[in-house]
Amino acid sequence: MDRNQFIKWIESPGKMAHKYSLHAVYFSTGCGIIEVPPSITARWDAERFGVIPTATPRHANLFLITGYVSLKTLRAIIRTYEQMPEPKFTVGFGSCPINGGMYYDSYNTIKHLDRYMPIDGYIAGCMPRPEAIFIAVTHLWTLIDKDMADGYKRYRKYYAQYRANQERVLGRLEWPPLFPLEKVHEASA
Amino acid sequence: MKHPLEVRLASVFKDIRTGPGPDGRLAVAAPAESVVPVLTFLKEDGFDFLQLVSCVDWIREDQIEVVYLLSKYVPAGGEAEAGVTGIVLKTRVPRAEPVLATSIHVFPVAEPYEREMHELFGVTFEGHPRLIPLLLEREYKIPPFRKDFDTRKYCEDFFGSVPPVGEKK
Repeated sequence: MDRNQFIKWIESPGKMAHKYSLHAVYFSTGCGIIEVPPSITARWDAERFGVIPTATPRHANLFLITGYVSLKTLRAIIRTYEQMPEPKFTVGFGSCPINGGMYYDSYNTIKHLDRYMPIDGYIAGCMPRPEAIFIAVTHLWTLIDKDMADGYKRYRKYYAQYRANQERVLGRLEWPPLFPLEKVHEASA
Repeated sequence: MKHPLEVRLASVFKDIRTGPGPDGRLAVAAPAESVVPVLTFLKEDGFDFLQLVSCVDWIREDQIEVVYLLSKYVPAGGEAEAGVTGIVLKTRVPRAEPVLATSIHVFPVAEPYEREMHELFGVTFEGHPRLIPLLLEREYKIPPFRKDFDTRKYCEDFFGSVPPVGEKK
């Protein structure tokens, strides 16, 4: 343990624990999955940074969306995200979740993922190198330290807007709202 | 000189045209109503493997072309009949009302292909048990793989109209 961080551990042990045990669920929508096996195995070894893949989103607190998001995938992504326990952090991987990337004129691929769910950070590139994942993880540490990785709080606060956008592209959603819609709407208004 | 298979086909079906196709395949052009009989005939003739059913939108000719690719496995130790390695069966239907008879009862593997063509090209297959969407999540006014579907305009109109969520900067 770094001695310089001793004060941080005393002040907010929960935050530090979240920071150094990021359990990731890799949502392998596109080509980004190619970068994930080398980064979690011996070559780049994500466990040095406390990042370890989990079997189920219910055990995870880091959500990596690696690649383009089609409409059908968006439905699964939202369901996965809503299953994760709080606090949860999301990272969009590659240029496709940012603005569509090379699928900017695809009829079935959403362009801005942050209009449907909160994103704490993006890794730009097509594709990013595995090193970029670890740069993102260290950035995420800083964000968690400064309480800026607050995507799950924003999701709670603006849930009515997120849900409206989700229903706009997906039509009817099969699952009930995660948070009460009216109350949140009044609070944000 | 015609291949024996062409002669056999011509003796049964009067309204089809045959000729040499790419890669040693035999190209067959048939009207829409005789597609299923031709497929049945070819299946009994040995071409019992439907590789692919695909679709081409000929917008200038106002027609939609449905393409069936057939081939066969040569049994171990056996020898293929010389000349023809596969069949390219093409048929054309009008673009305004593309209706074909389903070929599921001949080749059950055609089921997902026909569903896919139904949602992406708007081709209706009569007799198909469930023409429900296979890949798409939304209903499109124009099927998205048709040439007159403007993807860029659709993206600007539809995805561009989704508002960003009001988050504090």
